[in-house]
Amino acid sequence: MSDAPLLEARGLTKEFLVKPQGSTFARRRPFRAVEDVSVQLREGRVTAVVGESGSGKSVLARMLARTVSPSAGELLVGGKVIDPHQRRDLTYTATVQLVLQDPFASINPVHPIRHVLERPLIIHGTASREVPALSKELLERVALTPGESFLDRYPHELSGGQLQRVSIARALSVRPKVLLADEPISMLDVSVRLGVLNLLRDLCDREHLAILYITHDIASARYIADEVLVMYAGQVVEVAEGTDVVDHPRHPYTQLLVSSVPDPGHQDRVRIQAPSATAFPEEGCRFAPRCPLADDRCRRQVPELVEIGTGHRVRCWRVEEASVLFSSRNSQKGGGEIT
Amino acid sequence: MKNFALPRSPKVIAGMVILGIFLLLMVIGPFIEPYNPSSPLFLQNLPPSSAHWLGTTELGQDIFSQLLDGARATMVVGLVAGLVATVLSIVVGVSAGYLGGKTDEALSLTSNVFLSLPGLPLLIVIDSYLPVSKRSNPLVIGGVIALTGWAWGARVLRAQTLSLRNRDFVEASRIVGEKRWRIMAVEIAPNLLPILASSLLFTVLYSVGAYTSLAYLGLTNTSVWNWGTMMYWAQANNALLANQWYWFVPPGICIALVGTSLALLNFGIDEFINPRLRAAGVRVRGPKSARVSRPRLGMTPVLRDTSGVSS
Amino acid sequence: MSESILRVENFSVDYGVGDRAVRAVHDVTFSLGRSEVLGIAGESGSGKSTLVYGLTRLLRAPGVIRSGSASLTIGEEGQRREIDLLSADERELRALRWRHISVVLQSALSALNPVRRIGKEFDEVLRYHGQGTSRAERRARAEELLAMVGLKSDRLDRFPHELSGGQRQRVMIALALALSPDLVIMDEPTTALDVVTQREIIDELRELRERLGFAMIFITHDLSLLVELAEQIMVMYAGRVVERADSSDLYAIPRHPYTVGLMNSFPPLSGEIVPMSGIPGSPPSLASLPTGCAFHPRCPLASEECSLSSPPLVVEGSRSLACFHSSPSVRERLEIRS
Repeated sequence: MSDAPLLEARGLTKEFLVKPQGSTFARRRPFRAVEDVSVQLREGRVTAVVGESGSGKSVLARMLARTVSPSAGELLVGGKVIDPHQRRDLTYTATVQLVLQDPFASINPVHPIRHVLERPLIIHGTASREVPALSKELLERVALTPGESFLDRYPHELSGGQLQRVSIARALSVRPKVLLADEPISMLDVSVRLGVLNLLRDLCDREHLAILYITHDIASARYIADEVLVMYAGQVVEVAEGTDVVDHPRHPYTQLLVSSVPDPGHQDRVRIQAPSATAFPEEGCRFAPRCPLADDRCRRQVPELVEIGTGHRVRCWRVEEASVLFSSRNSQKGGGEIT
Repeated sequence: MKNFALPRSPKVIAGMVILGIFLLLMVIGPFIEPYNPSSPLFLQNLPPSSAHWLGTTELGQDIFSQLLDGARATMVVGLVAGLVATVLSIVVGVSAGYLGGKTDEALSLTSNVFLSLPGLPLLIVIDSYLPVSKRSNPLVIGGVIALTGWAWGARVLRAQTLSLRNRDFVEASRIVGEKRWRIMAVEIAPNLLPILASSLLFTVLYSVGAYTSLAYLGLTNTSVWNWGTMMYWAQANNALLANQWYWFVPPGICIALVGTSLALLNFGIDEFINPRLRAAGVRVRGPKSARVSRPRLGMTPVLRDTSGVSS
Repeated sequence: MSESILRVENFSVDYGVGDRAVRAVHDVTFSLGRSEVLGIAGESGSGKSTLVYGLTRLLRAPGVIRSGSASLTIGEEGQRREIDLLSADERELRALRWRHISVVLQSALSALNPVRRIGKEFDEVLRYHGQGTSRAERRARAEELLAMVGLKSDRLDRFPHELSGGQRQRVMIALALALSPDLVIMDEPTTALDVVTQREIIDELRELRERLGFAMIFITHDLSLLVELAEQIMVMYAGRVVERADSSDLYAIPRHPYTVGLMNSFPPLSGEIVPMSGIPGSPPSLASLPTGCAFHPRCPLASEECSLSSPPLVVEGSRSLACFHSSPSVRERLEIRS
């Protein structure tokens, strides 16, 4: 079996033309929603992309799903580059699938669940007599048992968590190798979230899928992911394995994120402060206007993504000072993580 | 596909009953009429009596038979025109909304042109070009009426489709590999049913009105009885001056009743067709004693009566 | 312990009347101190929003208050007055609203009129309540309020869509504090915001509370946020209070299995990664509640009596608990790491 990632993105960039805010007659300028993002999705691994709204994470997902075409960069499936001019076809659809955020909006309210699973099965070649049995099996794979009882129900009869599982079942029906999940649990009730998250992890382990988990909640990324990418303003600012990103954040933005999450167990943690973002700067590091460590070089030049430890990459000119600053703040009280 | 629950609203029930009566007349009217509506056998200008429930015309024809007979043509043309127009509006509206681009531009231009053309004058013009033999065929007239009535529905459906096509479930269908025309027909169109039904009702109403107007102006073949033609003859023979209310009022009332029933039905359409609205209906209904009068916003009522509440 | 500003007893709210009525809030009892923060935690269908809108009589039709009492104590020290919220008429309620109680809505992002500049909103609110006799005076007060929530005064000339989500929320908070009310109710004010903005707003609220001393009811589904922010936490499920305690007590020893499960639904930021399960099943629909305790189908401790009758709320000092299986060892029995 080849070692190539199931799906890989290299230097993906997406530019939109937008009118600058507040002016009616100014010309539309390019706005980079995603800039130079590379990510590898491997079999049996969950890769998380953490970012706030506006970070470009959803656009990235759409580019990976090929519903949005990139302005630059390339996509590789199983090591082979995809021709950007070739439209997304059934083969790609059968390889890469997408689960969306709002379970109530992603399923057509006028059809029963049976229809939701039938269509992809039939489109991808399942004989109609085998469809009922396969549909039932799909539902049971996402822990909706007994499968038959759900087939004839309508979406409004199911809860958010159940609908999201149906969404996942629909994605699985085409037997994909890669599952992209765009904030799959953020609209679910809190007590239901972990169940769906565990399901995703389970599917990854059991069925050797590659899963991309997009979220704004870094704690859930830490819980489920093998590798975490942190995005800010369209760029990847930090990449690390598993728990490293939360336990040893190196980029000032990641540190800001981690210290902002409510954590009742560690209330005496010192908080990183940063002013609110307005527009992103035209040149230099995007985070510079908010960064307590920003200097002239930061404001003039966009830093490169640099490897600073095994599998740990950071996009910051002042990464050493940032590490010292964060660890010293956290070691001021007992029980802090020492780097 | 969906389980239909009987509607409860009195308005809808009234609408159904009235329309039902006229639909029935459409079918059996010519069979139950007491006399041949065209035969001028009787004494002229008789007022209503037990032999002639609505009296007779200037020519000595039985008005009641004309009314019953006329139900058929009026209703058939109304329904056919309504249906044809609605089908046209679905095809044009949904395609324009979903496909976008040049298709949308072309289709929108077409519907805007048809929208801005004045309906009745256009009908008259088209009608005058029809060979006389065709004018007697209600279906042909129906088709012509449909041509002037589809554009408004198309615009509405286009707008709805535009808002639907960006919904997650449409994107999900695309992601899963569904073909474009199937998305339009199977995923989007069923969500348009409430608007469609409403559009159909109003188009039928429009068609009945248009047909009656044409007939009143004498532009249809007067040998086919319909309510408009009745009024044409009534007017031609100065029925108003002669105070022969029984000649022109009944057809007018029938047209008004058909229109009213369609409007009443429209009230119940949404709840009737959408399964989610039906299931979610929690209405402030209960025994009159416990009924709260419509509360003002900011003054949530306090009702301490503890009977009849599930705990 | 400070005296109470709000006392609620056996409060119940239904949607609809007659045999199709659905009970959305069932028999809720709690009290709130003058400068205290009460956090209400719950998921969809818990009744937390219905509760506070019912108390302030802002609930829309077909909501109906069916039982209970709610009294608000206002006025200066020594001249306290108790107002019965449920029997107040329109005039009294209008006098109360905004001057003594204000509300920051969940959909604050759509609560601001999109065609009105922010300055105009402030001007209207201040003018309606008789604050400031001239436009200049009112503008000065508006600038003061904006500064209080960390916004620059140029925001007054902008339209809502020109502000970010966090800024709009701050505007709502500033508006809510415009008349220095005694009680501010916040319904999921930070749910739609990103975590960094949420942190900023929470810190600001803390500071404001220290300065102005108002009481606050904060509604959210994020229990860990409440542990940080609130002094008292009330956990609701299917319209009932299942547990109420001081926040540090609740965090240290949650006694209701639902509270434990809820806490077990937030992956931690540190420590070894241990499989967590949340709570199996999902919150019930109020129209078809299970018999007995509404939580029992999802409860690992459920026994037969749980399916037969709903456990009453037992009050012991500052703790309340509605569970047949209460005991300090509930936590151990559910094998939760602390």
